[in-house]
Amino acid sequence: MTSNEYAVEMRGIVKVYPDGVVALKGVDFLVKRGEIHGLLGENGAGKTTLMRILYGEIKPTRGEIRVFGKKVSFRGPWDAIREGIGMVYQHFTLVPAFTVKENLYLSLLSVNPKARLSDAISKADKIAEETGLRIPYDEIVEELPIGVQQRVEIIKALLRDARILILDEPTSVLTPIEVRDLFKALRKLRDMGITIIFITHKLKEVKEITDRVTVLRKGKLVGTVETSKVDVKTLARMMVQREVVFKIEKKPAKPGEVVLEARDIHVIDEEGVERVKGISFQLRKGEILGVAGVQGNGQRELAEALAGIRRVSKGRIILRGKDVTGYNAYQRYMKGLAYVPDSRGTGLIPDMNLVENTALTNLYRILGWARRIKWDRAVEITSRVIRELEVVAPSLYAPIKHLSGGNQQKVMVGREIVREPDVFIVAEPTQGLDVAATEFIRKTLLRLRDNGKAILLISTDLDEVLQLSDRLAVIYEGRFLAMGRPEEFTIEKLGLIMGGIRE
Amino acid sequence: MSEALESWFKGFLEQVRIRKRQYLLGALEIVLSALTGFLVAALILYFIGYDPWYIFEIMLTYGFSDLGYLGTRAAPLIMTGLAFSIPLLAGVFNIGGESQLYMGALLGLYVAYVTHNVWLGLIAGFIAGALWGGLIAALRVYRGINEVITAIMLNWTAYYTIIYIILVYLPNPKQSHLSIQLPVSEMISYGETFTLAVVGALIAYFILYYTDIGYKIRVSGANPRSAVYAGFNPKTAIMASMLLGGGLAGYGGTLIIAGVTGSIDTTMSTLFGLGFTGIGVGLLGRNHPIGIIFSGLFFAGLIIGGQWVELLTGAPPYVTDTITGIIVIALSMPYAYRLLMNYVGRLGKK
Ligand SMILES: Nc1ncnc2c1ncn2[C@@H]1O[C@H](COP(=O)(O)OP(=O)(O)OP(=O)(O)O)[C@@H](O)[C@H]1O
Ligand SMILES: [Mg+2]
Repeated sequence: MTSNEYAVEMRGIVKVYPDGVVALKGVDFLVKRGEIHGLLGENGAGKTTLMRILYGEIKPTRGEIRVFGKKVSFRGPWDAIREGIGMVYQHFTLVPAFTVKENLYLSLLSVNPKARLSDAISKADKIAEETGLRIPYDEIVEELPIGVQQRVEIIKALLRDARILILDEPTSVLTPIEVRDLFKALRKLRDMGITIIFITHKLKEVKEITDRVTVLRKGKLVGTVETSKVDVKTLARMMVQREVVFKIEKKPAKPGEVVLEARDIHVIDEEGVERVKGISFQLRKGEILGVAGVQGNGQRELAEALAGIRRVSKGRIILRGKDVTGYNAYQRYMKGLAYVPDSRGTGLIPDMNLVENTALTNLYRILGWARRIKWDRAVEITSRVIRELEVVAPSLYAPIKHLSGGNQQKVMVGREIVREPDVFIVAEPTQGLDVAATEFIRKTLLRLRDNGKAILLISTDLDEVLQLSDRLAVIYEGRFLAMGRPEEFTIEKLGLIMGGIRE
Repeated sequence: MSEALESWFKGFLEQVRIRKRQYLLGALEIVLSALTGFLVAALILYFIGYDPWYIFEIMLTYGFSDLGYLGTRAAPLIMTGLAFSIPLLAGVFNIGGESQLYMGALLGLYVAYVTHNVWLGLIAGFIAGALWGGLIAALRVYRGINEVITAIMLNWTAYYTIIYIILVYLPNPKQSHLSIQLPVSEMISYGETFTLAVVGALIAYFILYYTDIGYKIRVSGANPRSAVYAGFNPKTAIMASMLLGGGLAGYGGTLIIAGVTGSIDTTMSTLFGLGFTGIGVGLLGRNHPIGIIFSGLFFAGLIIGGQWVELLTGAPPYVTDTITGIIVIALSMPYAYRLLMNYVGRLGKK
């Protein structure tokens, strides 16, 4: 066979990071032309590292790379872009304060300095036509829902004539409907001859969309297989080398007294738009109240208002019998509330180490005489997070940005879990986590519930909310459109309500 | 206590181990920038007709030979370096270190003179600088006025006001170009001056890295969104960093009075420029109090050496200023560039 069969050939790739972490230990990765190739592996297995090497962002310590049969050695992403490689990161690289068309123009300029704004738009129109990825041009990027921002990212890559498209965990922030649209677009792209590399932790998605799949484990290749020849169980076993239980035992809930109550709360955002338009609910000890909805329907503002990060414009919040409407977040955390935000950009300080990041929400627990920080206490808590959540990190003192995405997530969720909060607001707790870690977090949430804690679970992952919730609310444009027991909803019905349709 | 020390030391070693590469690269960067700076300076000297070797030899040998004097000259620079760096850690550009130092010098001088006690003078200097810095912060926090603009205006306001006060209210009956003068017997030694500066830097280090307010300052600067998430009040962090930074600059101003001059001259020649040089000191010290002690010493050496060059070769001041300037720019450039990119990158995300 000629090597031309492959779009990407990476052989014997070794990557040692500057701090001595060996992220890849000689990996072979072969992607055929025009296929959708899945890349699977536990958190910290080296998937992102491998893709950053292919995209020229970092250099391999050893190994050979060929793109469409041609040996390459990239000095930076610009070289990779020239060879037709495009990458969509999990955290986007758009300029948040610019409009969509400005962002597209900017990215086209970087490959063609003579391009004009109209070129960018006409080309983007054509791509949108062919793929069905519709985007607005005049909106400011940061005001768009994540799903739309992602579409802009993809179109941006295609504008630069990408023939190989890398997507790093594109679905972890999407709702099922958005995932379906994304998959439609990916299939169209494949039909147009574009090769796609697709990283995900969701095995169902691997089965659904990929042609072949490569599994990495601890920096080594486990194997590359045809998707149609393996089942989900086998994939899971390849990944973690043990059986994974997909069904979680759930005892019936024993709800107790009300510990968190929202009374007709309204929230107005920085632009003066009302994002939460009168939400009331009661959350009891020993229950999980799920909130499902398409991102951007006010769930973030609701959570932030409950946590004390945002002011409510109207309404009251009662925490454990006390009106805390006027309390700030720090005071509410001290009263036993914990909040895991939906974005690591909010929850983590990239340049600070694990201990300093753990201190962020545990600060009141580690203060000594004269508000001195007892760092040894912080080290203890951090060690516990690492041990209980099996965080893979070279050291307590490594900057958190050097951890893999999933391991960062574990720290962000874990530092709240070890506080054993009485009232726990969690948004997208398992985003970016592998099957084993996801299972662990879900089991932990249930354990906290059984121990009498109250949990408000906000998630776009419908399987997650259906599986964990004792009661379920659907949020749409700042209101709870429906509230009921999870058994009363099917995925289809949920989808309709989430789109604003009440029967 | 010894246990705490031990755990601190362990943490420190671990930190060094994990960031070994980063620290080495940092050191390499400094060495390379220094070489570049000296090279460019040498070329310029050569083209304007001086012997670069001779000039550098004077600068380095004379600049760094009298350690007592070096430490004293470094003391105010260390303080203004901190005055720039501490607010920067909170995400605020304090270029008002200059006038915070003036205010500290003035009030410190007055209090020390009246009470015959330099220690009270130093405290007064700190308070004066802190209030002057706090004013900038308050305008930023409560009125939304950009701190750079306020600082520039306040620098000149302070400059002329102080000259006026000295001439009108605190003139020296014996020497007309000076203010009231502290008696030499009440002043502190060179060694004490430097020690007090180091103590100031160590306290800053402790506050930044071992107290809750220091942590809040650093989080607010490193990721404002995280600070909001944790429930830290961004206003508090800005205010605190400016009070501390301004206070240290003021303390540095009093250190000059108490350790070197004993008075302020009516053209402010002994104070002028120290705050601006502090920006370079802070950047070269990589915004870390311990680093700033060393960069303060290095700067002081260059300045003293430059004065010797003027003295021995008759070169005009602009020549030595250019040389120091080039070296300083070369040394802080890579870091300043990274900071700037960070700042610009964040503008959009606010
Ligand atoms: N910049 C870095 N510096 C040092 N080590 C790093 C850096 N980035 C990643 N690592 C380490 O390399 C290993 C692989 O990380 P990588 O991000 O490739 O994992 P991943 O497979 O993408 O995991 P995840 O599913 O959690 O995103 C991890 O152990 C991580 O700690
Ligand atoms: Mg990753």
